[in-house]
Amino acid sequence: MRRSKLLSMMILVLFVAAIFAGCGGGNQTPAPADETVKIGFLGAKTGGHASYGIETLKGMKMAADDVNAAGGILGGKKLVIVEEDHGSKDDQAASVTQKMITQGTVAIVGDPTTGFTKIAGPIAQGAGVVLMSAGAVGEGVVEIGDFIYRDTLLDKVGAPLVAKYLASELGWKKVVLVTSTNNDYSVGLSKLFRDGLAANNIEIIAEQTIQDSDQNFSAQVTSFSNKDFDGIVFTGYYTEGGLLMKEVRKQGLDHVMVGGDGLLAPVLWELGEDAVEGSMVYTGFAADPANASPKTLAFIDAYKAKNGGTLPDMFSAQGYDAVMLLVDAIEAAGSAAPAEFKETLKVTSNWEGVTGTISFGPDREPIKSPVYLLEVKDSEFSVKATIDL
Amino acid sequence: MTTDIVLQQLLNGLTLGSTYALIALGYTMVYGIIQLINFAHGDVYMIGAFVGLTMVVVFGINIWAALFVAMIACVLVAMTIERVAYRPLRRSTRLAPLISSIGVSIFLQTLMTSMKGPQPVGFPQVVSNTIYTIGPVKIALVQIIILLVAAALMIALQLIVKRSKIGKAMRATSEDYDTASLMGVNVNRVISFTFAIGAALAAAGGVLIGMYFNSVFPLMGVMAGLKAFCAAVVGGIGSIPGAVIGGLFIGVAEVFGVAMGLGSYKDAIAFALLILVLLIKPTGILGQPIQRKV
Repeated sequence: MRRSKLLSMMILVLFVAAIFAGCGGGNQTPAPADETVKIGFLGAKTGGHASYGIETLKGMKMAADDVNAAGGILGGKKLVIVEEDHGSKDDQAASVTQKMITQGTVAIVGDPTTGFTKIAGPIAQGAGVVLMSAGAVGEGVVEIGDFIYRDTLLDKVGAPLVAKYLASELGWKKVVLVTSTNNDYSVGLSKLFRDGLAANNIEIIAEQTIQDSDQNFSAQVTSFSNKDFDGIVFTGYYTEGGLLMKEVRKQGLDHVMVGGDGLLAPVLWELGEDAVEGSMVYTGFAADPANASPKTLAFIDAYKAKNGGTLPDMFSAQGYDAVMLLVDAIEAAGSAAPAEFKETLKVTSNWEGVTGTISFGPDREPIKSPVYLLEVKDSEFSVKATIDL
Repeated sequence: MTTDIVLQQLLNGLTLGSTYALIALGYTMVYGIIQLINFAHGDVYMIGAFVGLTMVVVFGINIWAALFVAMIACVLVAMTIERVAYRPLRRSTRLAPLISSIGVSIFLQTLMTSMKGPQPVGFPQVVSNTIYTIGPVKIALVQIIILLVAAALMIALQLIVKRSKIGKAMRATSEDYDTASLMGVNVNRVISFTFAIGAALAAAGGVLIGMYFNSVFPLMGVMAGLKAFCAAVVGGIGSIPGAVIGGLFIGVAEVFGVAMGLGSYKDAIAFALLILVLLIKPTGILGQPIQRKV
């Protein structure tokens, strides 16, 4: 009897301790609510998506530093980034979102992935807090509600621009389109390329299908090996992209491949070796100091100074822009109430950020310019062209 | 499809099929002797590919030596598997070693995944990318190597089984396990030898596929193993020429299926053929009709 009483006491103590431990998470000194504006960071600092989250947060902090150094927001209030870590776990994403909302954030930046944004979206929408995803590209994100935004390059903007570039700058007239049929991203991107290529008078002379995790592409490549065409559009991921190009070279063809950021990983040339040299990939941002605008160059230099000379990636740049977009919308509305500044955010047009120009269309989807077209050169991505809208 | 494309695809199919045949031989020989479907066989093929890759990348030896080392390594692996996982179950129900082989298969896959990670690893370009034109057909050097090595190994196997003393013992054990044992055949040694030969062929298949597809990964043995198993059954399980014919048949069918736009059903083709053959000729193309012993 005594024993069990002791046990239940101990459990009670543990519970209380756990509750207090949970409260210690937000690690900034509390300031009176009216002197700060809080923007939350939703993302992973640990786990499988940590590399996206950490970079997004770096960009956000740089933006907050810049805003505060220039005198703060709404006439002198301090901009505070409330950071949390959902550890790449989707059950954590929901509770972290909830927690940031109760801490009084007016907007949340994140998550860089579509899946987690879709978990956090309905919570933010329900609470009337603006959520700006700095990375989600999938379907059904802004459809969650009028508080939900994103500042990423969408394939429906990118693919037609790349098609235009292929036709006007490279003079392509005929292509082969290869789709990975068990990959939603690839099927969707192929659809966009079909329209984009047709609009630019590029004929698809052959379509082939593969599947993710396929190893053997000999039959597909042989099917178009005796045809006359200018290049291969492949909409899948880097693994299959590298192996596909190996097979293309093995059959004596010297064409190059074009694809979306599904190809954007070193695995492309680790598997593809020489065969992917000259292949092209488009993306929303790439650090290109030689051709950057003054604003972008300032960001690249500041990032390099803070990170031992490494160049910023797409996620840090989009994190920076997400905070700046929100700050400008808050300033324009003259209020940090989400219901008010979401209206000024909605009419953002030709806004200059470090990743380029952003406008929100009537469907609140971002329209970004330029698109960065990268080329594999000596087993590295280098910027081949920036394509303006 | 024009004639030259058809011929070109036929060549692609034969190249792919000859590697299926190399794996299928291991299935069919083991089944022929102890009526066991060795599901770990596809993973022995995967191990062979990884050993070959390691030899080329880490030790920098040439591809022929790497092929040889991979074959030896897989012989040791397969003999160990047979000794540890199958021999203790020889006198138990027929289902027991089958389940055991599935266990070994999963063990090998997870072992390699934890060692090498799940991502495909690139196989370096070990033969030059030379392309020869023979009439209307273009053939890459790597395809010539695959076809010649596979053919040489199959001829060697045929000679061992038909001409050598251990081959004679294998055939005897295959016909009647107990009688062979009574006649003084060391059946344990014969079974061990059968596993060893099957593994050596599979290892060669793994290295050749690594060269051809330029990548190896820990789960590569799953689908290849299943298709090779289909090949063995289609050809007539237990029959050595049957496995070769079945392997080539499935390879060619798969390539033509993809060429005709059935790319999404690529893996289904082998299994559809399996069902078809089992319905029409249950013993397979070269299978012997089953005679019940009285």
